[in-house]
Amino acid sequence: MTTKSATLKKKGARNIRHIVQAAFFIIVAVTTTASVLSEKGISIPFIPDASLHAVCPLGGVVSFWQLLNFGTLVKKVHESSVVLAVLGLLLALLFGPVICGWVCPFGTFQEWLGKLGRKLFGKKYNNFVPRKLDKALRYLRYLVFAWVSYMTVISGKLIFQDYDPYYALFNFWTGEVAVAGFVALGAVIVLSLFVERPFCKYACPYGAVQGVFNLLRIFGIRRNAPTCISCKACSKACPMNIDVSTSKVVRDHQCISCLECTSDAACPIPATVDMIALPGSVKDSYKKPAAAKSSAAKE
Amino acid sequence: MKLSIKSMAVIVVGAFSLGIAGANLLGFWQTTSSKQPVAIKEGEFAGLPNPADIRGSYTWADVANAFGFDVKLILRAFGASDETEKVNALEAIYGAAGLPAGMEIGTDSVRLFVSLLTGLPHIAEDSTVLPVSAIAVLRESGKAEAALIDAAAAKAYDPAKAATSAVPAAPGSPTSSIAPAQPASTTITAVKTESATDHVATVGALTGKTTFQELKDWGLGEVDIKSVTGGKIGPDASIVKDWMAANGLTFSELKVRLQELLDAKK
Repeated sequence: MTTKSATLKKKGARNIRHIVQAAFFIIVAVTTTASVLSEKGISIPFIPDASLHAVCPLGGVVSFWQLLNFGTLVKKVHESSVVLAVLGLLLALLFGPVICGWVCPFGTFQEWLGKLGRKLFGKKYNNFVPRKLDKALRYLRYLVFAWVSYMTVISGKLIFQDYDPYYALFNFWTGEVAVAGFVALGAVIVLSLFVERPFCKYACPYGAVQGVFNLLRIFGIRRNAPTCISCKACSKACPMNIDVSTSKVVRDHQCISCLECTSDAACPIPATVDMIALPGSVKDSYKKPAAAKSSAAKE
Repeated sequence: MKLSIKSMAVIVVGAFSLGIAGANLLGFWQTTSSKQPVAIKEGEFAGLPNPADIRGSYTWADVANAFGFDVKLILRAFGASDETEKVNALEAIYGAAGLPAGMEIGTDSVRLFVSLLTGLPHIAEDSTVLPVSAIAVLRESGKAEAALIDAAAAKAYDPAKAATSAVPAAPGSPTSSIAPAQPASTTITAVKTESATDHVATVGALTGKTTFQELKDWGLGEVDIKSVTGGKIGPDASIVKDWMAANGLTFSELKVRLQELLDAKK
């Protein structure tokens, strides 16, 4: 296969995910818009309507406690949210957070803005935040999830709605978005020009739940060290800044299963970075470069 | 087994399509509420719809249908004209009309109105008030005790009296067929305008703002509380009423039993 045809094939493979993402974005945008219009007495023929809460799995996740204890759902949450939450958890157990990488319209929105950021800042894009700070900030989303869950349990209301930039994006024209929601959306829009998927990395409560499944997932990203040429194309392609090129198996809690790092997409060597069924005992064999050097010297 | 980008696309799209279709077949794919409030579980009103479960997404017609009264009554009470409009428009309308701070006319006002109209129990938030036009309707058709209607009348909102200090509606505020209702009767005895909404707990007196911690401080043990709530208890900081509403329990029914336990501890 020529280099040109290989490049085209990889581009085509990448586009498959972009098409799936765009399709889910359009479906959510159209159904939620139809829902708001329907409430105003305007119905669109052949378009099913559902509120954003009805098609967001987070509502289902934060309703689990109430559902298990009392058989009721948090206000504004519908049964469809629970269906999506269960579906999301099953997919995450098998393949990791595919919902984040392939389905979530807000992740897609941030990626689209990121393309603009990449044009503006080139290689500097997605590398502005110092590593240590970035690593620490990535645990913030677990705090956000803990807060959202606690507040939802004690109030029985979707407390996060007022601060949710995802809700603000799809409802900005309805008059139902709180000021904090607009502020959060504005912040995400600006940050997306510097950092890829800032909300997913630092604040998304649903991403936090999904991220934990990276430690348990059955199918995962594996790098085949013997064929790896250490070009770091996989690490550079990762929107979540995971250092794939030094891992044997990616178990990073931030992986979104986008497969951008794989030999189907960024990796230039076939069968070197792949999504495969992982044996349970395989751990991430990440070694810091210094440690790796010293162990090589001993050998 | 290796998964390519193509196969992952098929898996994701297939899982969602089949998952949603399957849930639909089994009747789990519900994206809207039924517009039917949950039933009261205990007491003399058991089986009847619970006013506390009226949601902001209900239209005036939904409320009237669910509780079996003429929709014209509730339209007249709140100065509305379009029965297909949602009741959650009230807060924006009355807020823009210059409702004093600490007073709210919103979905809880609709719950209170329905409660007084039908005689079904509901404990409203401290800040919840009714417009005077609603009091006029209740005086004519309400099934609740006169004393309860009098209590609602005592703190009812009178747009005419507030007109001199009303703030003009903000540009871009939601359009609606609801106009802040004008007084339809002169039978209202008093208009309460002070806005004391901060929660100051009176020891041993259970209200809509009481927390589980306060119940414990007043001498109720977890076992006592659980004996009333069916074996469950909320976090200490949560408000008993909100927690019960969130968990499908009826505060107005269980409040009486909790209060009896509190009184017994005195």
